[in-house]
Amino acid sequence: MISPDKIDEWIHEVEERPASAELIIRYIANRLSELTSRDEELAAQNIELLSGRKVEEYENRIASLEYQLELLKRQLGGEAVLPSEVSAAKPLQETLKLLLYNPLGQVLNLEMDLANIESQQSVASLSGEVSPPGMAPSVLSTRVQEELLFIFDSGRTVRRPVTQLPAMEANQLGWNQAFIEEPRIKEELAIIQPIGSMPLYESCIQASRRGYVKKMKTSFFTSHLEEDYIGSGVKLRADKTCGLTFANGDDLFVMVSLEGYIFSMQVDRLPAAIEQVIQLGVSDHIVSAFEIGQKTSILFITQDGKAVNRQVGWLEKANSFKTKGQSILSKERRQRGTRIVAAAAVDEADWGVFLQADGLLSIYKLEDLLSAGSLAARQAEAQVLGLSVFQKPGENENLPQK
Amino acid sequence: MGLHVGLDFGTSNSGVATYQDGSVRVLPIDGKNVVPEVVKTILYITRDFQHFIGQEAVELYYKQNINRQRRFVKKWSGEIDYRGADMHYVRDIYVYVDELQPGRLLQFIKTALRSEKYHGTQVFERYYNLSDIIAAYLQKLKKRAETLLGEEIEGVTIGRPVKFSQNTEQDQRAQNTLLEAAMEAGFKRIDFELEPIAAALYYEFTLTRPENVLVFDFGGGTLDLTIIRLGDPQHRKVYASGGIGIAGSDFDRAIIEKRMLFHFGKGQVHHDPEILKLIDTIPDWAALPELSTPLAKAELERAIGAGEAPVRLKALEALIFNDLAFSFYNMVEATKIALSDQGAAVARMKEKNLDIWELYTRSQLEKDIREHRQQIEEVLMNTIIASGLEPGQIDAVVKTGGSANVPVFSEMLVRIFGDDKVKSSDVFNSVTAGLAISAHQRK
Repeated sequence: MISPDKIDEWIHEVEERPASAELIIRYIANRLSELTSRDEELAAQNIELLSGRKVEEYENRIASLEYQLELLKRQLGGEAVLPSEVSAAKPLQETLKLLLYNPLGQVLNLEMDLANIESQQSVASLSGEVSPPGMAPSVLSTRVQEELLFIFDSGRTVRRPVTQLPAMEANQLGWNQAFIEEPRIKEELAIIQPIGSMPLYESCIQASRRGYVKKMKTSFFTSHLEEDYIGSGVKLRADKTCGLTFANGDDLFVMVSLEGYIFSMQVDRLPAAIEQVIQLGVSDHIVSAFEIGQKTSILFITQDGKAVNRQVGWLEKANSFKTKGQSILSKERRQRGTRIVAAAAVDEADWGVFLQADGLLSIYKLEDLLSAGSLAARQAEAQVLGLSVFQKPGENENLPQK
Repeated sequence: MGLHVGLDFGTSNSGVATYQDGSVRVLPIDGKNVVPEVVKTILYITRDFQHFIGQEAVELYYKQNINRQRRFVKKWSGEIDYRGADMHYVRDIYVYVDELQPGRLLQFIKTALRSEKYHGTQVFERYYNLSDIIAAYLQKLKKRAETLLGEEIEGVTIGRPVKFSQNTEQDQRAQNTLLEAAMEAGFKRIDFELEPIAAALYYEFTLTRPENVLVFDFGGGTLDLTIIRLGDPQHRKVYASGGIGIAGSDFDRAIIEKRMLFHFGKGQVHHDPEILKLIDTIPDWAALPELSTPLAKAELERAIGAGEAPVRLKALEALIFNDLAFSFYNMVEATKIALSDQGAAVARMKEKNLDIWELYTRSQLEKDIREHRQQIEEVLMNTIIASGLEPGQIDAVVKTGGSANVPVFSEMLVRIFGDDKVKSSDVFNSVTAGLAISAHQRK
């Protein structure tokens, strides 16, 4: 605030050093121009509020969130008391959203009718350069009612409902068409995490590529979300967040590394401050971090599309931090170059969407994939870059997960 | 013979320079600093005993401490003997220790050399004695310098004040500790040069006859004054030395206290001690991350909810919880530095919920640090009196250190000694540069 005292002090400066006058005038003029544009922005926002457009947008969003909450209640056995205007909304479970995103904040959004999907089906192909060096894309399956959290490596976050992302045609997928959630200077988009189911969990676990983990109470995490900043979750400069998952105290948290090392521990025992929980080799890093929940097994995918399935009971829970981890790959296979590119907790009724280095997106029912042992030959020519698991309504009532 | 460098180990800032092929090169030792040629004399030791110095240490300290969780546990720390006329009993002392603390930040390491009582500190499970602390810092500094130079450094000439302490024994002990630390850091040949001599070495080269010189070394943490007879390297004589613990960081603090706190609710929040305590902590950069607790957040939310200066308190919340403190203090320092060359500057910061625009003039700065200026002038006059010389008998004043560039002090020196006697120099680096020349001469 500019007070009369301050103005007197500026005048005093000009009296002492007349050369300062020009500078002071310039600074004040620049500030005035800045404030004028800000004023115009606020006036425009005010018009939107008065005309009801903003209100309408927020009302839709609230309605969508209320509906989501009721869905969650229903899944937990509670009663679904839907407001009449919300129940009038169109059925929400039938559309699957497939999101492809990269560290530049580019996001491609493909909508699919869940009723029409088939196993071993190629659903789309990304044109142009799929994965520029250091810019590996990720895939995420989610639902149309979800709220997404964009997490940048600086710890900054942006919340956005899925409905705000423009949908694309399967034959038009290319990064040049992408929606951009622009990172700030020196920032990269680390992950996108659906947060619709967050209220159901006690804790939120942030995992980094170098095997560091931080656990927060969901209530504390929510207050961070309001500030659009959750912390970078890393200790080392060359590290960054690679996973965020919600869990309850007795759930089992699992991290899987590129070289096939697995860390698993009960969520209650995870550290509240950022701590390294698994020691990784120099060339290794975490590729997946998730909680097991009610799932019965874990699916590991190698870079050449081979599927390895293990029952949850196979996991050896870590007794301490900084363990070397349990290995899924034999020493020989590791030396021959076999790498794990993705892993997830699954049931046989689940489905998976796979992104490959040539841009191909294919969908498998996991039951079929596990019987075949790997992706179909035509689809396994290019390396697998990512996997996301989802459920088809009627086959499984759980929520989608990464 | 390997490389021999000059190393200025300062209270607030340090630097390294080499003298090769007839010219001095002060190394850009801290690329992240506002002035890359100096590195903050700050050591951050993480829980896994990794060491970080300079801006890197500050950044990591902020990064690890803002928004972190805390868990205080009661720990036995020792016992106290109570002795009365007819009784004696021993009482256990417990302290609450934050067991999730990710690291320890150590500042003013050089000042510890002056103390007879300080021997070291416990950092998590390890005890660091003073020479370990200094060695850890020097080791990092040496490594950085070697990376910049592309070769190993063997020898070093380290600057030291005229007196670490008035007590001769303590003075020698301080130099021995520094020597031990330098050896521990990997320097093979170590010698010392008085900092004022290093600062005036450039000037001494130009002399054709001996002169009485006042070295006005005004850095980031202290002002050191030395009146010395220069001109004949064999017969230098220190008439008097003095100083005061006022310097650049105190000016930054004054700017924050007088010009910035308003942006965070000072003057608008009343009768709310919890919030006022948060506001009053802002000038202390090292204490700010400690405020990022859920309790502080709840207090702020409560006050904002009650409509108590909501915009200002949102700004305070952003400063404490959004990792903005580092940029904030850098902005204040940059504004102060800008005022050395121009009459006005704008302190500007625009982040989420935080919008600072403060037009700040040189006369405002002079007003804000008037008290410091008076204290400095007093110390200067006392040092002149202690030297037994009259101001007129001092032939030249050599200024060094970043704060010597603040115009009000140049003007003060000109007023006391006359315009022709005050010599300008590369204010940030003349001690470091002088040490490099001294190192070269001794090689």
